Amino acid sequence: MKKKSKISKGKRKQYIAAYVFLLPWLIGFLGLVLGPMISSLYLSFTRFDLLNTPEWIGLANFQEMFQDDRWIASAKVTSTFVFIAVPTQLIAALLVAVLLNKKMAGIGFYRTTYYLPSLLGGSVAIAILWKNLFEIDGLVNQVLSFFNIQGQGWISHPDYALGTIIILATWQFGASMVIFLAGLKQIPKELYEAAAVDGGTKPQVFFRVTLPLLSPVIFFNLVIELIKSIQVFTSAFIISEGTGGPINSTLFYTLYLYQKGFTQFEMGYASAMAWILVFVLGVMTLIIFFSSKYWVHYEDGGKL
Amino acid sequence: MKKWYLFLVLAFLTALVVACSSDSANENEEDTAGSEDTTETESNDTESEEASGNEEVTLRVAWWGGQERHDRTLQVIEMYEEQNPHITIEAEYSGFDGYFDKLNTQLAAGNAPDVIQFGGNLNDFVARDVILPLDDYVGNEIDTSLHDESMLDSATFDDQLYGVTLGTTAWGLLLNKTAFEEAGVSMPSKEWTWEDFKELTPQLTENLDGTYGTGDFGEDGFGVFLAQTDKFTYLDGEIGFDQEDVKEWFNLWKELRESEGAAIPEVQVSASQTPEQSLIVQRDVAIESIASNQLGAYTGATEDEFELYPYPANSDTSKNGVSLRPSQYFAAYKDTEHPEEAAKFMDFFVNNVEATEILGNDRGAPVNADVRENLIDQASELDEAVYSYIALVSETSDAPFIPNLPGYNENTQLFTETEQIIYYDQKSVDEAAEDYYEELLSNIEKYENEDEE
Repeated sequence: MKKKSKISKGKRKQYIAAYVFLLPWLIGFLGLVLGPMISSLYLSFTRFDLLNTPEWIGLANFQEMFQDDRWIASAKVTSTFVFIAVPTQLIAALLVAVLLNKKMAGIGFYRTTYYLPSLLGGSVAIAILWKNLFEIDGLVNQVLSFFNIQGQGWISHPDYALGTIIILATWQFGASMVIFLAGLKQIPKELYEAAAVDGGTKPQVFFRVTLPLLSPVIFFNLVIELIKSIQVFTSAFIISEGTGGPINSTLFYTLYLYQKGFTQFEMGYASAMAWILVFVLGVMTLIIFFSSKYWVHYEDGGKL
Repeated sequence: MKKWYLFLVLAFLTALVVACSSDSANENEEDTAGSEDTTETESNDTESEEASGNEEVTLRVAWWGGQERHDRTLQVIEMYEEQNPHITIEAEYSGFDGYFDKLNTQLAAGNAPDVIQFGGNLNDFVARDVILPLDDYVGNEIDTSLHDESMLDSATFDDQLYGVTLGTTAWGLLLNKTAFEEAGVSMPSKEWTWEDFKELTPQLTENLDGTYGTGDFGEDGFGVFLAQTDKFTYLDGEIGFDQEDVKEWFNLWKELRESEGAAIPEVQVSASQTPEQSLIVQRDVAIESIASNQLGAYTGATEDEFELYPYPANSDTSKNGVSLRPSQYFAAYKDTEHPEEAAKFMDFFVNNVEATEILGNDRGAPVNADVRENLIDQASELDEAVYSYIALVSETSDAPFIPNLPGYNENTQLFTETEQIIYYDQKSVDEAAEDYYEELLSNIEKYENEDEE
C-alpha cells in the first residue's frame, strides 16, 4: 500500500508538469480560439453592428444568406478555388517531389528553391508582387509582347482574376512537397526491386507501388490543403484591394465575411457566415475521412 | 519552491511567444473565426501613463494620408507637445487602405483614439453614437468664430457640432498639360462643356502612345454631374435623383469609351487612390478627377505639369456643379477620458497660425478666415493654384455641399461594382442602372432604420 501511494504521488507530479508544459497552448486555445468561437456562435444569432449591444434575431442571419447574391457569389468563388487549386497543387507537389527524390548533385539546393515559395506565399509582399506581375502593363504582359502576344489585364478582368490567384496558390506547393518527399523515402526499396524483377514499367511502378504506399500521405496533404484553401484570404484581399473585384470575381468567402464584419458593421451576419464555413469544412473533412478506407492503404493495415 | 517559480515564469514567457507567433501565422484562421479582441492588447497604455504623473495626459490622435501629410502633422504634434509639456501625443497614422477597418475594430473594443480624422463618412459614425458632441467646448476650448458657416454646417447633425473641419476642398479635374502638348491638343477653356470634353478626349488617346484621354470620374463625379442640373444625391434625408439620372451618367461614359476617349476597362479597374500609383501619374490617362487639396501630392509624384480644371459644364444649364466641400474632420471619441484636452488640440490644429503654416493646404484650404489669409499671403506657386481654383469654384458655381449617402462603404462598393458590370458587358446600362438604384434604396433604408433604433 505504502509503495503504491508513492508511485501515484510521482505520477501526479508528472501530470502537473505535463499541464504546466501544456499551459501556453491551453492559454492560447482558451483565450484565442475557444473564447472567440463561443462568442461568435452567440453573435451569429444576433444583429451586432460592433458598436451597440447585440440584439437577438434568431436564425434571421442564416436565412438572409441564402437570398444574398454576394454571399452566393462568394461561396461559388471559394468552391471553384478549392476544387481547382487543391488538386493542381497536390499534383504539382507530388510530381516535383518525385523528381527531387532522385540522387543527384545539388539536390539540396533544388529542394530549398522549390520550398521557398510556400514560405513566402502567404505574405502580403508576394501578393503585391503578384499584382504587379499580372497587371496590364506588368512583367507577364511585357514578356508576352516580346513574342508579339497581346496580353490581358490578368487581374483586372473578371474572367481571369481568379485564375491568377489559383496560379499563385499552386505555386506554393512547397509544404505538401516536403511531406510527399518524406513519404517517398519511407517506401521500402525491396518493393521497387521486386517490381523491377517482375518487369514493371515506370508508369506501372508509379501507379501500383508508389501511389498506394503514398496514399496515407496524400490523405494527410489533401485534408490540410483543403482546410488551408477554404480559408484563403490574404492574396485576394491584397490583389483586389479588399474589394473582391472586378465584379466579385475574387470575392472569396473569407473576404466577404471580413467586408461584412469590418467595413459594413454587420458582425452578427459575419459570425453566422463563419459558422456556415466551419460546418461545411467539417462535413467535407468527414467525407474525406469516411472515403479514406476505400483508397488509403496502410502497410500495417491501418491499426495503430 | 524556487523551481516552481522559474517554471511559471518560463511558462508565461512561452505563452507570450506562442501567442504572438501563432497570431501572425494563423491569419486566415482568425479571420474566419471572427476575431473581436485583436486590438485589446494595445489598450491600457494611456491609463498606466496617467497614473505616474498628476496632470500628465496622453492623447491618441489618428489620421490617414500620404507621406507629406504624415510629416507635416507630426511636426505640428511635436510643436504642441513643446508648448504643452504635460501632454503626450501618440500618433496613429496610416494610408487610407485599412484605416477605417482598424478604427471600427478599435471602436468595437472601446479603445478608439481620442482624436480621429474622418472624411465625408462622419455622418455614419455620428449615427452610430460614437462621436463626442462639441457644443460644450465651442467658445471655451474651441474657437469657431472665424470658421466658414457652411463648413460648420457640414459637421452639424441634429443641431449639434460633431467635428472640426480641417480644410475646404472641391472636386476638380487634373489635366496633364505636358501630355496635352505632346498630343498637340490645346488646353480647353475653363468654361468648357461635356461636348468639348467628348470631342477632345479621343484626340488625346489617338495622339498619345499608351495614354488614354480620360479616366472615369466615378461616384464623386456622378454627384457633380447631378448638381449641374440642380439635383442632389442626398439632401435632408431624401435621395435626390432617380434611375434615369444613373442611366444618363453610365451612358455618357459608355459613349466616351466607345469613342476611345476614356480608358479601357482593364486600365480603369486597376486605378489607384494613391497619388503615386494613380492613372494620371502613371501616364495611363491625361485627365483624372481629384480633390483640389491633392494637387500638391499629385504634382510632387511626377515631372509632368498639371493644371486644375472645373468639371465640363452642362450646356443647357451652364453649370459645372462643383461645390466647396469639407475635406476631412477631426472629431473626438465619445468615451475619451480627456474631452477638454482633445478639444484644445483640435483648436490648435485649425486656429494656431504657426501650426497651420506647417500644415499648409494639404487637407484643403483652412476654414479659419484669418489663418487662410495668412497662408494665401505666403503661398507658393502650387498653393496659389489651389487657392485660385477654390476661388474660381466659389465664383462660378452655386452648388451646395452635399453630404454622403448613409452607408458610405457599402454604397461606394456598389457603385464600383456597377461600373465594372457595365465595363465588361455583363448587363446593359439600363439594367445595371436599375439594379444599382434598387440596391441603393434598400441600403439607405437599412441604415435609416438602424438610426431610429
